[in-house]
Parts: sequence; C-alpha cells; structure tokens
Amino acid sequence: MDPIWWVLIVIVILVVFFLLIYWGFYNRIIRMENRIDNSWAQIDVQLRRRAELIPNLMETVKGYMKHEKEVLENVTKARSALMNAKTPQKNIDADNMLTGALKTLFAVAENYPDLKANQNFLNLQDELTHTEDKISYARQHFNDSVLSYNNTIETFPGMWFAKRMNKKTREMLQIPDAAREVPQVKF
Amino acid sequence: MLMEDHIRRNKQLTIVVCTLMAFLFLIVIFAFGYIFFHDMYIALLFGLPVALVYVLITYSFSVQTVLSAAKARPANPRNREEKLLIYKVEEMAIAAGLPTPKVYVQDSEHINAFATGKKPENAVICATTGALKKLKADELEGVIGHEMSHIANRDILIATVTIGVVGAISLIAEILFYSMFWGGAGRGRKGDGNAILMVLAMVLIILAPIFARLTYLAISRKREYLADANGARFTRNPEGLAKALAKIKSDHPTDKPKGSKTVAPLYIANPFKQINISSVWSTHPPIDERIKRLRSM
Repeated sequence: MDPIWWVLIVIVILVVFFLLIYWGFYNRIIRMENRIDNSWAQIDVQLRRRAELIPNLMETVKGYMKHEKEVLENVTKARSALMNAKTPQKNIDADNMLTGALKTLFAVAENYPDLKANQNFLNLQDELTHTEDKISYARQHFNDSVLSYNNTIETFPGMWFAKRMNKKTREMLQIPDAAREVPQVKF
Repeated sequence: MLMEDHIRRNKQLTIVVCTLMAFLFLIVIFAFGYIFFHDMYIALLFGLPVALVYVLITYSFSVQTVLSAAKARPANPRNREEKLLIYKVEEMAIAAGLPTPKVYVQDSEHINAFATGKKPENAVICATTGALKKLKADELEGVIGHEMSHIANRDILIATVTIGVVGAISLIAEILFYSMFWGGAGRGRKGDGNAILMVLAMVLIILAPIFARLTYLAISRKREYLADANGARFTRNPEGLAKALAKIKSDHPTDKPKGSKTVAPLYIANPFKQINISSVWSTHPPIDERIKRLRSM
C-alpha cells in the first residue's frame, strides 16, 4: 500500500485516541463539579434541619430555665442571624455563633436536674448534637470534593481540558476550629 | 492516589476478575459436559444457561441471603445505642457523599460489622450488639467509616458477584465428584485416547475452585487495607479504627459466630478466626498489620 495510507491511518487512530481521552476528562470534570454542588446543598439541608430543631428546644427548656433569659436570647438571636445569612462566609459565622450559644445553653442546663431528666430534652439534645456532626461532615465532604476537583483541573493533563471547558478552581470553606489533619494515606 | 483512582482501579479489577472467573467457569463447564455427555456443544447448551441463572439468582437475592444468614434485624431507633448507630451511619454517609444505607443489628457478643448490597443506593450496614456495647463512640465511628468505604469503593458489588461465581464453580465441581462415585462417567464409548482428556478434565474441576478462591482472597485482602485507609479519611481519625481493631483482637466472646464462612469477607474482622493466620487462605489481612498501617497515617 502507498505510505500515505499508513500515515492517514495513524493520524485517524491518534485523533480517535485523543477524543476518547477528552471524553473521559470532560465527564470526570463535570461529575466532580456536580459533586461539589451536591455537597454544598447537603450542608444547607443540615443547617436548616438544625434551625428547625431550635424552636422545639426553646419550648422544652423555657419552663425550666426561666431565669436564664440571656442564654436563651442568644440562641434565638443566633438562629435569626443564620436564617438571614446570604453569603457562604456569613453562613459559617452565624453558624459558629449558634453553636456557641447552644453549647452555653447545654452547659447551663447541667444545673437543672429536672430538665436533664426530661426525655424530650434528652432526645432533642441527641438530635442537635447529631445534626451538628452532620454539618461538620457535610463541610468536610464539600472540601474533599473541591480538593479532588482542583487537583484534577490543575494537574497535567486535566488542565488542558479544563481550560477548553473554561473551568476555574473553587474555594474551600475556611472553618475556624479547622478540621483535623487529613491523614497521610500511604497505600 | 485519589479516591476516584482507587474506585476506578476497583472497577477495572472487577472486569479482570470477572473475565478470569468466566474463563474458569467455561473450562469447568466444558470439562463437566465432556465427562457427562462426551460432547462439548451439548454441555455448553445445557451448562451455560444454568450457570448464568445461578449467578444471577445469587446476585439478586444476595442482600436477603446475607441478612438472613446473619440473622440480622433492622436497628431500633427507640433503643438509644441503636439510635446512635443509625446516627453514625448517617454521618458517615454524608462524609462519603452517598445515600444513607439501611441500618441493621446482629445480636451477638462478638464485636463485628459488615456491609452488603448491590449498589450504594440499596446498601445495608449491620453491626453487632457486642460492638455497640464494647466500643466507644470514636471506635464505632472508625468501624462504620470502614464499612462505608466498602460501599463507596463498590467492594460489596465485587464481593457479591465473585461469591456467586466461586459458589457456582464449587457447586459444579462437587456435583461432578459425587457423580463419579456413582459411576456416571467414563463409559469410554469413544475409546481410550479420551481417557487422558478425562483425567485432564477432572484435574481442572478440582483445581478451578481453588484458583477461584485464591484470586478472590488476594483481592479481598487488598480491599481491606483500602477500606481501612478510606474509612480513616472519612472520619479524619485513624486512631479510632486502630483502637477498635485492637479491642476486636483481644475480645474473647463465648457465643458462636453467626453467618456462613462464605460471607466472612464482608465483615470487618474474620468472625471465624481462632488465631491470626496471615496465610493466602485468609480473607482479612492480619490485625496487627492493619493497626500498624493506621497508626502510621
């Protein structure tokens, strides 16, 4: 056969090969972006869940903790701030305020044995702790997703495809009492 | 390596394992058919659909099979310990970005847990009541993180499929063996030249289940290390799982372990271990090595 045919065949194979890789990276990048969006939504879901539990908690404790006005007010104020937070950073700040206010409330509740014996209160306490853990894990997952995504679009060869797709790196959440060290996985 | 790379590698491994298994399967069926029918084509026509149906059925009912073999029951949210277990599973699911698996409990003094299911969407995590009683919160979290990793890595899918195939291969080998005793084979219609092939077929039948099992076990051990590592990533606390494993090692409960040996790999620690054997035949790597790796993170 004419050498020109061989050259053409090789070119076609290379083009197909390149397209397949492009396909792979394209899908991968999209999936990672979706995961980031999904994990962000999850944080929101948990924050809302916690906000929903607060009125219940207030109802349960107010009969017992009549003289702790300031403590109770701090919780209510923090909750409103959270409901009105518009940016991700304001979200986190309000959330921290609420966590602090709740911690104080539960610490003060230690002085009220009747309250501590109330099953409703105990269940709410369990659920609030659980929701706060979920918020913390949701944030962790968000940061993990952003890290994977950033790694993919910043390293070779992902960065080429990312540029074509006009993808920018995302920012991770800055959490004050920051997450514990990510363990060095030697595998 | 990233989690994504591990998952991709797992999926590729599945294909390799499945191909290998399919190959072994075909050899066994050929041998079976040859010995019984002295005709490969009839064997294939008869054997292959039967084998496929068997694997499909074990795969479809895998979750129910495992759960009833373990005598597991759904976790009771009114019981505080079990409620906290449900909470832990939810939290790990969020850390992994997966839907929350169903939570089951096995009444047993042993400290153990397993994960099963065909996809993350219909996965199940089960822990023993012994684990709930004897482990502290961070230790239990480490264990659940490990199980969640198995689900995230699609280990449960591979484990279920390979268990089905290994089972089918062993089943055929057993049937053949028993039928030999009742003189079903070797009427020698086609003459002595085929006696050699007959012997070959028999040898293959004996070896196939062994090869299948060895492949399965080798992969299974590597996956356990991976599940430990990823679990630690979810909890950000490798020490929790390390402490739990140490407790499992020194735990000597009096009641017998439940569940069949086949599904042992789905558990976090081999429920049938008497000593810590680190041979090619064990489904889990030695506990000391696992603890060492966790503590070096």
